[in-house]
Amino acid sequence: MKRTLDSLPVGSSARIEEILSDCDRANRMATLGFIPGRKVKVTRFAPLGDPISVEVEGQEISLRRAEARIIQVHQIAE
Amino acid sequence: MNEPVNQTPKLRQGRPLVALVGNPNTGKSTLFNRLTGLRQHIANYPGITVEKKSGLLRLGSMDVDLLDLPGCYSLTAVSNDERVVMDVLGGRRGLQKPDLLVFVLDATNLKRNLLLVSQCAELGIPALIALNQCDAAKRNGIRIHVDLLAQRLGVPVVETIATRGNGLEDLKKAIVSALDAPSVLPKIHWPECITHGCGLLRAGLQSAGSGELSQAEALRVLFDSDSVFTCGVSDKTCVRKLLDTAHKEIRESGLNPGSAEAVIHYRHLESLLDGVVEASGPIARSHDSIDALLLNRVWGTLIFLGVMYVVFQSLYSWAGPLMDLIDAGTSGAQDFIRPFLTTTPALQSLLCDGIIAGVGGVLIFLPQILILFFFIALLEDTGYMARAAFLVDKLFSWCGLNGRSFVPLLSSYACAIPGVMATRTLSDPKARLTTILMAPFMSCSARLPVYILLIGTFIEPLYGPMVAGAVLFAMHFVGLAMALPLAWVLNRFFLKIKPQPFILEMPDYRVPTLRNIFHRMWERGREFVLRAGTVILAFSILIWSLLYFPRNPEVEKKATESFVAKAAANHSPEEIQSALANPESELATALTHQIDSAYIEQSYLGRFGKAVQPVFAPAGFDWKITVGVLSSFPAREVIIATMGIIYNLGADVDEGSDDLRAVLQKEKWPSGPHAGEPVYTLPVVLGIMVFFALCMQCGATVAIIARELNWRWAALSFFVMTTLAWLSAVLIYQVDRLFFFQ
Repeated sequence: MKRTLDSLPVGSSARIEEILSDCDRANRMATLGFIPGRKVKVTRFAPLGDPISVEVEGQEISLRRAEARIIQVHQIAE
Repeated sequence: MNEPVNQTPKLRQGRPLVALVGNPNTGKSTLFNRLTGLRQHIANYPGITVEKKSGLLRLGSMDVDLLDLPGCYSLTAVSNDERVVMDVLGGRRGLQKPDLLVFVLDATNLKRNLLLVSQCAELGIPALIALNQCDAAKRNGIRIHVDLLAQRLGVPVVETIATRGNGLEDLKKAIVSALDAPSVLPKIHWPECITHGCGLLRAGLQSAGSGELSQAEALRVLFDSDSVFTCGVSDKTCVRKLLDTAHKEIRESGLNPGSAEAVIHYRHLESLLDGVVEASGPIARSHDSIDALLLNRVWGTLIFLGVMYVVFQSLYSWAGPLMDLIDAGTSGAQDFIRPFLTTTPALQSLLCDGIIAGVGGVLIFLPQILILFFFIALLEDTGYMARAAFLVDKLFSWCGLNGRSFVPLLSSYACAIPGVMATRTLSDPKARLTTILMAPFMSCSARLPVYILLIGTFIEPLYGPMVAGAVLFAMHFVGLAMALPLAWVLNRFFLKIKPQPFILEMPDYRVPTLRNIFHRMWERGREFVLRAGTVILAFSILIWSLLYFPRNPEVEKKATESFVAKAAANHSPEEIQSALANPESELATALTHQIDSAYIEQSYLGRFGKAVQPVFAPAGFDWKITVGVLSSFPAREVIIATMGIIYNLGADVDEGSDDLRAVLQKEKWPSGPHAGEPVYTLPVVLGIMVFFALCMQCGATVAIIARELNWRWAALSFFVMTTLAWLSAVLIYQVDRLFFFQ
C-alpha cells in the first residue's frame, strides 16, 4: 500500500519508494540516508506528536511530519 | 549577515594547511583539541557567522596550520556551515585551499560517513582518514579491516580514539608522510547523463557570468540549485533552464535527479566496503533501552523538565555567590583606588565608576556563561541535547524556532548574554537568527529588582501578597507572550531565508570527558571577555561620561547653598557647620546625596532625560522616571541606584529599601495638569514594569547580538524592543485614562 512516511504508525516498517519533492530537498533527504529501496522503521513519536523518529540503515533520525510527508513508502510486514 | 568580519590573521606563508573534515558527532572537535591543545584561534569566516577554528599543530620536524571545519553530512550547501566547507575546499572567497584533508569518520557508521568522503574525492585534494571511535565500533561488534579499507580508498587510514587520545602519534606521523607524499581518493565513475549535465552547466553558467566551474562545482549545482556557485549569475531563469535540461536528461536515463547523487555514491560505497566491514550478528545499539525511557511520553518529559530545572537553577541561583564575589572584588578595587585619586576627582570617577565598574560589569557575566556552557557541553557530549530538541520541537516549530531553541531561551531567563551565545548550537541560520532576536525578551534576572521594588511598593500594600505574587509571576511571561507571536510574524513576512528541514541524528549515548567540557567552557569564556567584553566596557565608559559631564562646580555650590538654607530652619549655623565638617554625620551624608542628585540632573543624560520627558509623558512618566529609564539603557539593574540618587537617598539603596519605597509612594507632580497628584499611580507602575519587561535595556546584549549576527540586527532589535516597550507603557496609561479615569 502506497503512503507517506508521516502516516505510518509507531513500530511499522516500510520500504522507501520515492522522495516527492524538488531536487534540492530530495537530495538532502537522500544524502541523510533516505534512499529509494532502503528499509525504514518508525520508532516513536515525540510527546506532542511531532517530530517523529525513524530508523534507517541502523541509525536513528528525527524529522518533522512535514518532512516525512515527502517520503513515499510502501509498508511492509516485519 | 553579510558584513565582512574576517579577523583571521594572515596565515604565515609556506606553512601547510591541514583541514579536519567530517560529519557532526564524529569526535572531530575532540581530535582537533587534542592535536592543537590551547594553541587555537577562533574567528568568523568572512561574511558569515560560522566559527573558524584554527590552531597550530606541531609535528616535530614541521609546524602546520590545522583547521577544524564545521561538521556536515554532505556537500549540499544549504546551511551556512556547509557553505563554509564548500568555500574552504574550493579555495573560494579568498580562503586558502587546504593542502591535506583529514577525514574524521565515525567507525560505528562507516558507510554514511564515507558519503562525504566520496563527494570530496571529486575535488582532488590529498587526503587521509582518521577512523575514530574504534572502541565503540568494537563494542558494537563491528570489525573493520583497516588495511583493506586503505587499499580500496587509495589513502592512508589511521585508527584513533580521540576521547582517550589513542592513535594521535600515528595520526601525526601519517600527516607528515601524507604532506610529503600525497595520495588522493579515487573519483567516482559518473553515468554518462550526469557528466553530460555537468558539461552543459559549466558551459552555460560560464557564459552567464559565474566564472569557470570545476567538475566538482558543476556537480554541486546539478544536485543543489541553491548552490553558492550560482551566486555570480544574476539571471536565475538561465540557471533554472540549464538545470531543467540537465535534469530531464537524467530522468530519461532512468534516474531521479533528487536522489541520483546519493544513490550513485552509496552504490559505489557498498562495493567499496564489501568485505571491509564485518558486523557480528545484528548491530547491538546501546541507546535503544535508554531512549525508551528518556523519550517516553511521561517519563521522558519529566526527566527533561528535571534536567532543565537543574540547568536553570544553576544559572539563576548557583551562579549567585560567584557573581557576588565579582561584585565584592569590583567594589574592593574601587575602594582601594579611590583614596589615591582624591585630588583629581574626574580621573577618580573615570577609573572607579567608569573603568573598574565596566570591567566588573563584563566579568559579572562570566559565572553564568561558564556554568551554561558546562551544561551545554555535557548535554551535547552525552547525546541528550538532540533528544531534548526532539521532545520539545513542537512547542517552537509553529513560530519558526525549533527544539534546539529551548536551552538558549531558558538560559535567557537568567541572562540573555549566555542565552544568545548558546544559539551557536542551532545550525539552521533562520532558527538561530530568530532565537537570538527573541532571547532578550525573556525576563532575565536583572529585571527582577524592578518588579520587586514596584510590586512591593505599590501592589502588595493595596492588594495583598497573593495578588503581588501573581503579578510577579505574570511579569515573567510578558516578554515570552510578546516574543513568540513576533517570531511568527518575523518568519512569516520578513525573513527571506529559506527554511531548513529540522532533521536530527540521534547520536549514541556517550560518556563525556571533563577535558572536553572544560575546553568548551574556557573557549566560550575567553571569547566573551575578549570580543564582547571590550564593547561592553566601551559602553559603560560612554554612559559614565554622559552621567558625569559637564562637571560644573556651580552645581555643587548651588546645591550646598540650598541645602544649608533648608537646614537652617531646624539647625543653628554652628550645628550645621560642625555637622558638615564630619563626613559621617547624617547632615553631611544628606548633603552628598543632594549634590549627587543635582549633578545627575545637570549631566548630559539628565538634561537629555528632561528634554525627552515629553516623549514619555503619554505613559505618565515624569522626568525622574524618564532619567531612570534612560540611564538603565546600558544595564537595566542600575535603575534602582539611579532612583536612589535622583530621590536624594544615595546610590546604595536596593529594591527592598524602605526609604526608597516611602519616597516613591509620596512622590507627587510638582506642577502641570496633575499638580499635587501622586506620580506613581497603578497604570504608571504597571507601565514601568511592562516597559522594563520589553525594552532592550542592556548594552551587553546589544554587543553580543552584534557579535553573533551584526550591528544592523543589533540596532534593529534595540529599536523594535524599545518601540514595543514604549507603545505598551503608553497603551496601559491611555487605556486607563480613557476607561477608568475618575
